[in-house]
Amino acid sequence: MRDTVFRETTAEPRTQSVPLSHLSLELGHLYMEDFEAGPGRLREHFAEVRIWVDAARASAARRTGGKRPRISTCFLIDDYFTRFSTPAELVPVVLAEAEKAGLVIDYLARESGCAVADRIELAESVMHRLVESPPPGSYGSRPPVSQTGWLANGQRTPATRSALSDAKAWVPPQETAARNHSVFMDAELWSEKDGRRLWSCPFLAAVWQLARLGLLRHLGEPVLTPRPWDGAGFPPDWDRLPPLLQLNPAATPFSAYRTCTLMPNRFLAVEDAVRLILDQVDVDSGALKQVAERSAREGAEVPAAVAQRATYVFYEEPTNSLTTEGT
Amino acid sequence: MTTASGQSARPVLACGEVRTCLLPSFQPLDGRAAAQLLRLRADEQVRVSERPNLYALSPEVLTGIDCRLPTSNGAKVRAVGTVAARAALTEGRVLQATAHFSAPAAGPDLRRPWGDYLVRPGLVESFGKLPEQAAAEGALRGGGRGELDLGMIAEGLLAQLLRHPLLDHKAPFKSRRTHLRWAARRVPPGEAPSLERFTLAEDGLRTVELKVPEDTPTAAVAGLCEDLALHDWLLTTVVHMLDNSRLGAADGPSAVLALRPAVDHLLHLWMPRAHVDRTLGHLWDVLEREPGFTRQWRNLVQRIRDQLAVQAIPLLHQALSTR
Repeated sequence: MRDTVFRETTAEPRTQSVPLSHLSLELGHLYMEDFEAGPGRLREHFAEVRIWVDAARASAARRTGGKRPRISTCFLIDDYFTRFSTPAELVPVVLAEAEKAGLVIDYLARESGCAVADRIELAESVMHRLVESPPPGSYGSRPPVSQTGWLANGQRTPATRSALSDAKAWVPPQETAARNHSVFMDAELWSEKDGRRLWSCPFLAAVWQLARLGLLRHLGEPVLTPRPWDGAGFPPDWDRLPPLLQLNPAATPFSAYRTCTLMPNRFLAVEDAVRLILDQVDVDSGALKQVAERSAREGAEVPAAVAQRATYVFYEEPTNSLTTEGT
Repeated sequence: MTTASGQSARPVLACGEVRTCLLPSFQPLDGRAAAQLLRLRADEQVRVSERPNLYALSPEVLTGIDCRLPTSNGAKVRAVGTVAARAALTEGRVLQATAHFSAPAAGPDLRRPWGDYLVRPGLVESFGKLPEQAAAEGALRGGGRGELDLGMIAEGLLAQLLRHPLLDHKAPFKSRRTHLRWAARRVPPGEAPSLERFTLAEDGLRTVELKVPEDTPTAAVAGLCEDLALHDWLLTTVVHMLDNSRLGAADGPSAVLALRPAVDHLLHLWMPRAHVDRTLGHLWDVLEREPGFTRQWRNLVQRIRDQLAVQAIPLLHQALSTR
């Protein structure tokens, strides 16, 4: 058949592709308490992480069939829930401690960039893409996730009746995909305070995972794209630091087919909630298709489900005795 | 598991329901406003065409379902997956919402993790084998209690759009909604698509049975059915308007008043297959032969124009005699 003569660009769907590595390796996630514990804590963290970085690299190499995998590293600093220190003060310390452990941080991100980056409301957009897992019996009525602000992996215990009505027997919650017994989980996505929406840590972390997996777009264009660092100092204010900064000019692309996140085991519950969220996000189908096709072409086919593309290493947290100087 | 599911996921059936109504707005919406109305997601663009007519199409939104499929023989088939819904606005005047899904010949006996369904939007898998014929007929009949209800999903989307602050709810004339249910059986690639049956039922219900090659996207089939629904709605609405105008019986000015909205808002909308996938456009031909949609439309338009001309003659006389 002959090609079309007439075209209208506004009538055609378009999704711009993004460059992709094989693996996006997160070397850490810094909160205020970690920073307050002093540089010794960071040193312990990176020393521990180094071991798992080597393992993650080996695992990625196995998947690419001996070819050298493209791996980019990233580090996330929380400037959303608590503001502490300044980039000028903090970032050089982080980079120095990583270097001592023989690690290179390719990309540095701010947590608030997962909420809003370059005036685009990323978290809000992802929220509108939630499609809840339907419990059996759902025949088309859409559960209003956007009203409750909670997302579960099954059916909640029904609300208790008023005191006047007959006492009802308690009904347990039920996990939809339960095997024999339920592990029910209900994650808070946001809270409202003084009319402002505060996104929860798991929700922002889910946005972060989608960014690392190259699956976020705004009107077809990539978002949270890395800005190169000029090599000069870091600004005295977090807001003046780009949401995603490329520190290493030689780094492979930020986004990747898969992610691996290295973190202390106290984050286990948060990351379980992240998987719960990722499992219920209807991501941009154009981006999804691009990633699937390109990974298959490279012989590193991604798992179909988005949540399956994220892996974790949870390690034992350094104790304070270890972090004291001079050990 | 995922590669195995990819092979078995070849759809054998696609079903949908289109609801068509007049946009409740005094003025038709221009392209920009149409895009605003249909922006179901902040991060995804609305597709807007200006040729050969103004047409805006929303992104698709998903609804998760886990329930029985309606079947004509009463077979109980549980199905899980996502139904896709989208909305279209033609010439800023006629609003349509469609809910549709595709189904493979068979699915696993266990529910998969939800993320596996979400990466195949608009696909609904039956537990075990899908009784194709019974499910196709069931879809045309509509869902019973607790069964998949595509009409409800389409209606829900329509209701959401009608709450948009852009709309003043001052429709220029009264009209009824129509709903068109369709079922497309899949045939091997290379075979010609065909329109097997178009049924005009009561209460604004229409049903369409199709055969479509496997490699034709479901969205293209949905587009064809929206086009059929749009033009059927135009015929239905203008016929109704002529009925109510009591042609001949009514005195001049009232007949003119009754027919004026057709001239202002509807007569320019007739444009079959304007935005239909090229491989499916010719499915219109069978309806043009019998009953002859365009033939009926031309006849209606001619009647309206004649009527307005007849009413204009006395005015002309008057004007000449008072010179």
